[in-house]
Amino acid sequence: MEPLSNIPGGMRYYFGREARVRRAVEDAVMGVFDGWGYEEIATPSVDYYALFERGMGHEEARRSFRFTDTDGRLLALRPDVTSSVARAAATLFASAPRPLRFCYAASVFRQRPRSHADWRRQERQLGCELIGTDKWDADLEVLVIASEMLERLGLRDSCRITLNAVGVFNGVAGQLGLNAASREQMQQCIDARDGAALEQLLSRFVKSMPAVSRAVQLARLSGGAEVLGEARKLVSNAQSRAAIGLLELLCEGVESLGLSECFSIDLSDVSGLDYYTGLVFKIYIEGAGARVGSGGRYDELTANFGRREPAIGFVLDLDAVTEIIARGGDFEPENGGSDTATIIKSGYLEERFREAKSKRERGEKIRME
Amino acid sequence: MLTIAIAKGRMQNDALELLRRAGVSVSAEALASRRLAVEDETGRFRFVFVKPSDVPVYVEHGIADCGVVGRDVLLETEADVLQPLDLKIARCRIAVAARDDAYTGRAGVLHVATKYPRIAAAHFGSLGVPVEIIELSGSVELAPVLGLSDCIVDLVETGRTLEENGLRVVETITDSTARLVVNRASYQLKAAEVGALISELSSVLVERDG
Repeated sequence: MEPLSNIPGGMRYYFGREARVRRAVEDAVMGVFDGWGYEEIATPSVDYYALFERGMGHEEARRSFRFTDTDGRLLALRPDVTSSVARAAATLFASAPRPLRFCYAASVFRQRPRSHADWRRQERQLGCELIGTDKWDADLEVLVIASEMLERLGLRDSCRITLNAVGVFNGVAGQLGLNAASREQMQQCIDARDGAALEQLLSRFVKSMPAVSRAVQLARLSGGAEVLGEARKLVSNAQSRAAIGLLELLCEGVESLGLSECFSIDLSDVSGLDYYTGLVFKIYIEGAGARVGSGGRYDELTANFGRREPAIGFVLDLDAVTEIIARGGDFEPENGGSDTATIIKSGYLEERFREAKSKRERGEKIRME
Repeated sequence: MLTIAIAKGRMQNDALELLRRAGVSVSAEALASRRLAVEDETGRFRFVFVKPSDVPVYVEHGIADCGVVGRDVLLETEADVLQPLDLKIARCRIAVAARDDAYTGRAGVLHVATKYPRIAAAHFGSLGVPVEIIELSGSVELAPVLGLSDCIVDLVETGRTLEENGLRVVETITDSTARLVVNRASYQLKAAEVGALISELSSVLVERDG
């Protein structure tokens, strides 16, 4: 017989303290979503591959575990939740009043990992979606939720949420008149913070040297809200200006709420440009080598499911957060988070169970010998 | 404190020299020791010396905040790291080399021996040439000589090893130099320290290259 000691790559068990921390983190985050009026939604674990292909794009969707249904149609183990929520918004909730507020805690699966550090093939996502409003206060709402969530988890001093708006890049790339291929290369250079390669690339396509140097300087900008002033001086097109205007509003918003410490601007965050349409943000925590959460505005997504409407959302990677908190942190699981239990051992079977039952009725933790 | 992973070997001394000029220096005594992790004199930096192909691994996981490693390794490992600076040291190229008469596929398939299977597959893939990639971990030049492969894809610095084994470069795939790489999370969470290192190093580079 085949030995079953092996576990497939990227899969794992949780038990003991780590399992308790994980449960408590999930409860705390879902509590925050609930507190802001987000309704929990559970989506199918298995769905048509075409749904995810439309929802996430081909590149991401093809990382999923795929198999066929009895009628030959291609199925996938869900690689994300947002696609499915967007479909529900356009169909099941088509006539529900807007805005819709949904939250979820769900495992997603990837057959192929994104990078070496990202080895997990099962990841539990805690996320929320705010659908049907394109006002900037919706953007502010999810940022405030994200920061409340991190504060509840005791991560406020060790976290950073970086903000960008895709219009900054799109406006500049449009103005430079790049074709699709060179635009993608430009995006890769900026994403890798490779200023020299960016300059080289743009010099090949763009005649105006000052325009190249402005684009290179712009891509380097990251830091506090003050970099937006510098960014304004470097752009002249309306799209980029509007995007910078949005970031300014959001910075003022978080500042007035006393939250600016955990936020910073990162104009070189240009991943996911084909997916997001406005604000984009990433969540980093000390101790994790990669981002632990990300989100943004995706006003085009629901159009894939027959009803175009604005939407914004984000996810937190529960497994990554659990790993950091379980290693030590200020967050202590509140309910049922203890190891200690009264051990019931004396007496006859009936007596023992009577004692156990009465202790349980008082809410005590017990363990039968 | 910033942890910097440095690729052992070829570029180690040049990298340390650049860092020394940027004000980050390790005592000779610490370097002479066989310790694999040493601190610089200010205590602001810790260096770890690892195999070149392990540099992106340490940096991607955030165990090292920064690293110095060749572009060849970054391409081969498809490392997801930031690459803010080209240090322009350890210059070399990744090339296809073959014996003059043997650069054609047997039975329609080109047999390629290499330490860079991904780069080789991508290169021949883009040309539409069907290949069998034979992954070796050293002395790649021997493969065509003994008839294991039709050609090799390897790092070429001076070309002397190739010459001595009767091989010559038939095609350059790409150039490679050492890069400063940075972990994505460290770049945000230690923005001030990482930013300072990048600007110190870039002024050294400007001074050196004029």
